[in-house]
Amino acid sequence: MDKEVGTIALVLITILALFVALQPLIPSNSQTFSELGVLGPNQTIANYPTSLVTGQHFLLYGYVGNHEGTAYYYKVMIKIGDQSTEISNSTSASAPLIATYSHVLDNNQSWIFPIDLSLNKTGTNLKLIFELWTFNFTTSSFDYNGLWAQLYVNVTK
Amino acid sequence: MLLVAFSLTSFHSGAASVNDFAAANSAINSAFLAMHNAERSGGNVTVLVNELNTAIALVEKAQAENSTNPVQALADLQNATGIAMQVTNQSSSIAKAGASATQVRKTSSIGWAIVIIVAAVLVYLYGSRLYRRAWLYLYRNHVVEPSG
Repeated sequence: MDKEVGTIALVLITILALFVALQPLIPSNSQTFSELGVLGPNQTIANYPTSLVTGQHFLLYGYVGNHEGTAYYYKVMIKIGDQSTEISNSTSASAPLIATYSHVLDNNQSWIFPIDLSLNKTGTNLKLIFELWTFNFTTSSFDYNGLWAQLYVNVTK
Repeated sequence: MLLVAFSLTSFHSGAASVNDFAAANSAINSAFLAMHNAERSGGNVTVLVNELNTAIALVEKAQAENSTNPVQALADLQNATGIAMQVTNQSSSIAKAGASATQVRKTSSIGWAIVIIVAAVLVYLYGSRLYRRAWLYLYRNHVVEPSG
């Protein structure tokens, strides 16, 4: 083998071996995120209720996923709003809270939980709003995460 | 006076108050922070996550049953607070174990890196000489014959 080729091969193998050996010291820079989903009564993205009667119980399922790189403490807040209720990624909805569900999730863990609800408010195109809140490590309180979902329902007496 | 004190005590022992809920939630928040610090130190917090979820479920159960079964609700809150405090206590030992495991991992990584660099230098300096010696040893019995 040519001496130059041998030297280059040696350098490349050394760099590769060093990279493997020092891997535990290199911080991961993968993108971190959380997930929020609302599933129908069969745990699928179908058969969502659209017409309800006040006091009628109905079942949904919530889905939360943690890919934040560390354990997270989540709170799913469920609110009932109307057509004028606004919600965005930065501002949570200003509407009455009807239920909350809390859970701690390890990194890369997900959580599916039943949501048993009944509504007392009547109206057309009411917004059933689901917001994801996360525990803030510095303030020791829950902050709106910016993830939300909503279902439109008509509620009659 | 005594009657008032007695009635207050008996009321408190019967139903879970807002303060009881606040105390349980505060204990869970503190436990979560302790667990988070343990994880940052490199500790495996899977068991603690499960225990915290048990405590959270007990608080939610207490909220649901407080109007119908306040005695059970109070018991659940006290149980939840106890579990949360247990998580806080366990977190420090898990943090210590995690920190020492991280230290071992870092030391071994640096050790392997040094070994690789030293081996590369040795191969660079003595590699060709060793290669030739090995070649001569392997072919020591080889009979050279004229070709053609």
